[in-house]
Amino acid sequence: MSALTFTLKRSPAQRIDCSLLTPNALADKSVSDIAAIELVMGNSTVRVDQAFDISGDDASDITIKNSSSRLDFIGHNMTSGKITVAGDVGAYFGQFMEGGELDVTGNSGIYTACEMKGGQIKVNGNTGDFVGGARPGYKNGMTGGTVIITGNSGDRTGDHMRRGYILIEGDAGDYCGTRMVSGTIAVLGSVGAHLGYAMKRGTLLLTQQPSQGISANFNDCGSHTLAFLPLMLASFKKLDSKFAELETFSRVQRYAGDLGGIGMGEILVKL
Amino acid sequence: MIINGVTIDETFAEAFPMKGTRLIITALNAKWAMISAQAFTGFATSVIACGCEAGIERELDPSETPDGRPGVSILIFAMGGKSLAKQVETRSGQCVLTSPTSALFSGLDNDKKEIALGQNLRYFGDGFQISKMIDGKRYWRIPVMDGEFLTQEKTGVHDSVGGGNFLVLAESQAQALEACEAAIEEMKKIPNVIMPFPGGVVRSGSKVGSKFKALNASTNDAFCPTLKGQTKSDLSPEVESVMEIVIDGLTKEDIDKAMRVGIQAVCDLGAENGIRRISAGNYGGKLGPFHFHLQEIMA
Repeated sequence: MSALTFTLKRSPAQRIDCSLLTPNALADKSVSDIAAIELVMGNSTVRVDQAFDISGDDASDITIKNSSSRLDFIGHNMTSGKITVAGDVGAYFGQFMEGGELDVTGNSGIYTACEMKGGQIKVNGNTGDFVGGARPGYKNGMTGGTVIITGNSGDRTGDHMRRGYILIEGDAGDYCGTRMVSGTIAVLGSVGAHLGYAMKRGTLLLTQQPSQGISANFNDCGSHTLAFLPLMLASFKKLDSKFAELETFSRVQRYAGDLGGIGMGEILVKL
Repeated sequence: MIINGVTIDETFAEAFPMKGTRLIITALNAKWAMISAQAFTGFATSVIACGCEAGIERELDPSETPDGRPGVSILIFAMGGKSLAKQVETRSGQCVLTSPTSALFSGLDNDKKEIALGQNLRYFGDGFQISKMIDGKRYWRIPVMDGEFLTQEKTGVHDSVGGGNFLVLAESQAQALEACEAAIEEMKKIPNVIMPFPGGVVRSGSKVGSKFKALNASTNDAFCPTLKGQTKSDLSPEVESVMEIVIDGLTKEDIDKAMRVGIQAVCDLGAENGIRRISAGNYGGKLGPFHFHLQEIMA
């Protein structure tokens, strides 16, 4: 069996909802069944074989080639298997994902890993705003799993995030960790303004001092040796990421906030 | 069966099913990991009155511990899952949480049956405690005066065996003790077992029942040398001292191995060092489902 491959014929004029093209949704379907699936495109629909050339037959290992930033909802509700995307992807990459693996060679749009529950997403580029966030009006963002971003993340990364890991090898935009309920966001690069705004709980781990300083809503708790850090960093060793190469450390400056709210969140800056 | 002049009785040790778990205590250095472990495993010689049986399995190199610090692995056994959970919680709270620089981890995975480790200790954090999920396991960071106490939320429970034993019958107290020390030295090298009594040796082996109604266990008079003329003694005239080694283990096979190396170490000293017999404690085979036949083990 070879990977089930969808090669985009041409950049679509309107956005395509690819939520039906997941290993769990396509399991037990024949290639002809898959070809006949109608995908929502703009205000109409398009057959899969009209949008894509299809080859291969292993639905647990899906490849999308020649991808476009107009392909939304890739990996939606995915529970197992793997989707590898060559190119960029659109919005809601990995939304509601519960398991399996998503990998994109390019950039992803807004709401990547929106309300994700498990599994792993790796974006080998930049992401849009609201990575791991909740949909507007919803209270819980990401509740599990790991997101690796080799480039930069947009604004409001981890908005309403509740559990899991967002690992950013590049820079994070403004309002990183905003309204975070729990979980961990780690950033190897720089972070934007308003770090941890309205953060309730959770951990923002930085390997360098934020260039714009720490908000007045966070209080300095001093420098500490925290035993959980080596344990957590060791868990990154299995990842295909710069975080796996990170030399272990346990010494950090700890800031607690956002004191405008319950103030149980923390920003840890490596010393 | 006679080994190096030591008679191996045709009898068996009778053991019982228990629930057990392994915990790993780490600290800033090996000294403080050991202090914490010793506190945890204190007053845990027998379920008869201690509620559990616990002991130090071995010291751990930093490369073997979850947080890369020196550590000690301990085993704790109780008659049931609930009593094990209670003992683990109270001992963790009073002996590990309180011990400087310590951290506490599960050393035994069993997704199907788990008990709380730090799950309830977290409330000591008074709302300042922080949860972290790492590799699918939940840990609690509890703020304490020396920094943070890190503990895993749960530990796995293993169906175990408690009460494996053998008796060393010698011509003098000193010779019985020397033989038991030699046995313990070798038995400590066997993984998955502990010898819960002081130094691994018990001199007050018990029988079931007593003439006093309040007691359900009393001295094993058949093996008390000073009662040779007063009771139905199991001792020959030249035996002046008897000591017992009790073994708890995660499996019957682990206890088999420990008994074999222990008895062998005693027999290596042999009759010339005053060791006369090896025997074992049992209740006629009616109470415990695990029988360790001495001659089969040493065959």
